[in-house]
Amino acid sequence: MSISTEGVAEVVEERADVDRTDESSGPEVGKARRRKEDQRLITGRTRWTDNLQLPGMLHVATVRSPYAHATITGMDTTAATSSPGVVAVLTGQDVKDSQGSLPCAWPITEDQKAPPHPAIAVDRVAFSGEVVAVVVARTAAAARDGAELVDVDYDELPAALDLRESAADTTLAHPDLGTNRSAHWVFDSAEAGTGEDVEAAIAQAREDGVLIEREYRQQRLIPSFMEPRSVVVDPTGEQFTMWSATQVPHILRLMLALTLDVPESKVRVIAPDVGGGFGGKLQVTPEEVITFLAARHTGKPCKWTETRSESLLSAHHGRDQWQKLTLAATKDGTVTGLKVELLADMGAYLGLVTPGVPILGAFMFNAIYKFPAYRFECTNVFTNKTWTDAYRGAGRPEATFAIERLMDELAAELGRDPLEVREQNWIRHEEFPFTSVCGLEYDSGNYEAATARAKELFGYDELRAEQARRRESNDRVQLGLGVSTFTEMCGLAPSRVLGSLSYGAGGWEHASVRMLPSGKVEVITGSSAHGQGHETAWSQIVADQLGVPFEDVEVLHGDTQISHKGLDTYGSRSLVVGGQAVVKAAQKVIEKARPLAAHVLEANMDDLEFSSGTFTVKGAGEGQEGVSITELALKTFAAHDLPDGMEPSLDADATFDPVNFSFPHGTHLCAMEVDTETGESRMRSYVAVDDIGNVVNPLIVEGQVHGGLVQGIAQALWEEAVYDEQGTLVSGSFVDYTLPTTADTISFVTDRTVSPSTSNDLGAKGVGEAGCIASTPAVVNAIVDALRPLGIHDVTMPCTPERVWRTIQDSGSGGGATLPDAQPHFDEGAPNQDQPADAGQEGGQA
Amino acid sequence: MQLEHSFVVPADPDTTWALLTDLKTVGGCFPGATVTEADAETFAGNVKVKLGPIAVTYEGTGRFVERDDEAHRAVIDGTGKGLRGLGNAGAQVTMQLVPDGPGTRVDVLTELNITGKPAQFGRGVMQSVSDKLLGQFVGCVENKLAAGDGTP
Repeated sequence: MSISTEGVAEVVEERADVDRTDESSGPEVGKARRRKEDQRLITGRTRWTDNLQLPGMLHVATVRSPYAHATITGMDTTAATSSPGVVAVLTGQDVKDSQGSLPCAWPITEDQKAPPHPAIAVDRVAFSGEVVAVVVARTAAAARDGAELVDVDYDELPAALDLRESAADTTLAHPDLGTNRSAHWVFDSAEAGTGEDVEAAIAQAREDGVLIEREYRQQRLIPSFMEPRSVVVDPTGEQFTMWSATQVPHILRLMLALTLDVPESKVRVIAPDVGGGFGGKLQVTPEEVITFLAARHTGKPCKWTETRSESLLSAHHGRDQWQKLTLAATKDGTVTGLKVELLADMGAYLGLVTPGVPILGAFMFNAIYKFPAYRFECTNVFTNKTWTDAYRGAGRPEATFAIERLMDELAAELGRDPLEVREQNWIRHEEFPFTSVCGLEYDSGNYEAATARAKELFGYDELRAEQARRRESNDRVQLGLGVSTFTEMCGLAPSRVLGSLSYGAGGWEHASVRMLPSGKVEVITGSSAHGQGHETAWSQIVADQLGVPFEDVEVLHGDTQISHKGLDTYGSRSLVVGGQAVVKAAQKVIEKARPLAAHVLEANMDDLEFSSGTFTVKGAGEGQEGVSITELALKTFAAHDLPDGMEPSLDADATFDPVNFSFPHGTHLCAMEVDTETGESRMRSYVAVDDIGNVVNPLIVEGQVHGGLVQGIAQALWEEAVYDEQGTLVSGSFVDYTLPTTADTISFVTDRTVSPSTSNDLGAKGVGEAGCIASTPAVVNAIVDALRPLGIHDVTMPCTPERVWRTIQDSGSGGGATLPDAQPHFDEGAPNQDQPADAGQEGGQA
Repeated sequence: MQLEHSFVVPADPDTTWALLTDLKTVGGCFPGATVTEADAETFAGNVKVKLGPIAVTYEGTGRFVERDDEAHRAVIDGTGKGLRGLGNAGAQVTMQLVPDGPGTRVDVLTELNITGKPAQFGRGVMQSVSDKLLGQFVGCVENKLAAGDGTP
């Protein structure tokens, strides 16, 4: 096969410009600067929330429900109250009138159903791990001891656990709602006027084309950020000050005010250094409300820090969908339509953006392909499990998995190369900007270039030849090649688009640049980092804009008293939205300085040019003195000699609302070796060629790509939140929730092509989620590709050796049965323990 | 979850049956268990179990829901509340005695429901812990049978 190589040369060549490691000269943007925040983050000598010690601080410990669904029939707090060191015990009854209901900012339909969401359950619990009481004590240990003495009586209720059964209302998660179905949301390209009717495409394909029908399971995952959640609330003084390990200090402040009926001006939220989030800290948590209530109740600073097992149990989970998919194509491999029917597990409650997560995927199932007809419908379903919400990629990994698996299935059905079938259907680089079947305008891209580069690095043709040899020799270890040519929409988000999707806020971002009299520069960003390296990247941007040394730029964030406006960090938005706000603010500083520069240089403003931090008079020639922006900053501080009417400040604010998303893309190729006797699979090689537009810091990008890849591979191979038939999370520790380490992964080969974004001045696209979105289908496609000669065309995730082995056995090409002793300890009938390969194989081919 | 166990004791079914349905005596054979009250139908007591990293004491009651002295088959229902907020446990134990040469084979099927931390952390080790506990239990029962304690 051949992939068009037109346009490859220039994008690869451009890349050479941005990978400079020389730190001494030239523009800062593009340098592989080491992150200035790493010293303190890696050594831990920093302001993690749990490191905070305030005078007289009390500690909060939680009592959590062991039942998935039960009424609380009695609670005896006597023993806990009299336990040494205990100051207070708060139950749901105590706070029922003051705790409000935790917020959901994204009602996707007008008739969306949702139960009240208490921070502390009052008379009924709806998932195992829900808080029923808290104990406040002088030490963390005394609080935990006290919590064990709270005696709660429960009357167990039937629990809704299986997603598909719950969608049919066989058991109600919230009996008062009368149904488990929270909302039903539809996008239809024919109805929207952005495309054709998918049913017609399916009917046509059924008649004389190819129809691929599949059901895929997106298992439940746990975000597993490195730093556990922690909250400190200090009620001393005029304001309540909350420190929280959160991604969203600004949203949290507003939501606390609305939830607890406290004036927003009386709440200050600080996200100090935060150790990872992956969407898991994009939340207003029960524990934040509880710690606030405890501080208000006792009048003392209060701290709550979760244990890891508490975190796995009660911090929001991610994914958890059933996808029913119908892909229509002509016999020559041209895709004509896609129908998506989703069930999405909300868990027991709606969190901040829970209902919107599948909707973020709705516009991405069509991915990089041009097919004309598309329909997406989603039913959001309550179950008696931990509530779900955003997790790295949020909706887009699920969508990408589905379409990239389907494209491989289509290729297999047609007996063609999966890259060739993709190229037949994807948007060609000369067709950008391209309006998708969902009505989104893809800004830029070059799928041919990324694919050609990936094939070269991967040795695609050689590996295909080896695969053929192994198949022919009936090798016990088969080789599979997996493809993922992904795109995603990121840089959340144009406020108008969010408004049209009923989201409760805008998508702009705010920044300030403050010029200090000593020549230093402070940059304030509303995009508060939780480990991504914003301090370094923003410094590079401002150093170039203002022509000041990288080291002289200080980036401040995460404190609502310093950064008074912002919409925080999620959806790969920081650089493309927040970074652009920084650019705008810096440009305003220059414009504010211009009249003063003209005054100093005794020239006309229009005759000035600003370059490398200095204003000079155009065409004045060699030897002519200019005036630097830092000198001008000092002059405004003194304010002794300013032009008439000029305010004595160069500081500037900017708020940027993007006009479009950005659409990074890439071609990922994965080779997996699968042992057909044991079911064990081993990654042989992984090549990721990403196009994320212009790059500010290649080192940070590498880190994001590598981390994202591992997180996506983990969904394919290892991670799953498993509940037993009682609704207890049995993968409740890192022994059973198998989070990978570097020892479980190989060295990835990464490279980039560059198609600059047209939606921001930096030309940058988001990268925070890309690896995680792309890698899952690449790995599963590789495993399925290895097993295809056995008649297998699906393995349910995570593709553990057991699942792969069982799939081989069920296909009729394996060995004998295994003795019961060798079987896993989980019950077969337990919910979430999906039987391998049943759905996919029943789905059948046309 | 279901736990299945079988063991053989060197006594005839009648003798074994008499011992195994004498809850006060046999209860003492279960490692960590204390039977505080027992009559022909019901019993109360507590049991302390270590499941991996979790040590939990359950306090509870049990009763025979089915007892066939002729067929040597019994079904016992037990519920326990875990102390220190560690969740509850419920078990339905079906016991069937079958002659086995000179001795008796006892088949025990346990339908176990546990919640909370013991389930969150201990589930993976449940079968192996119960195997070990049963081993100790059988040893104790054998001793009692050998000592003639079980004779009516």
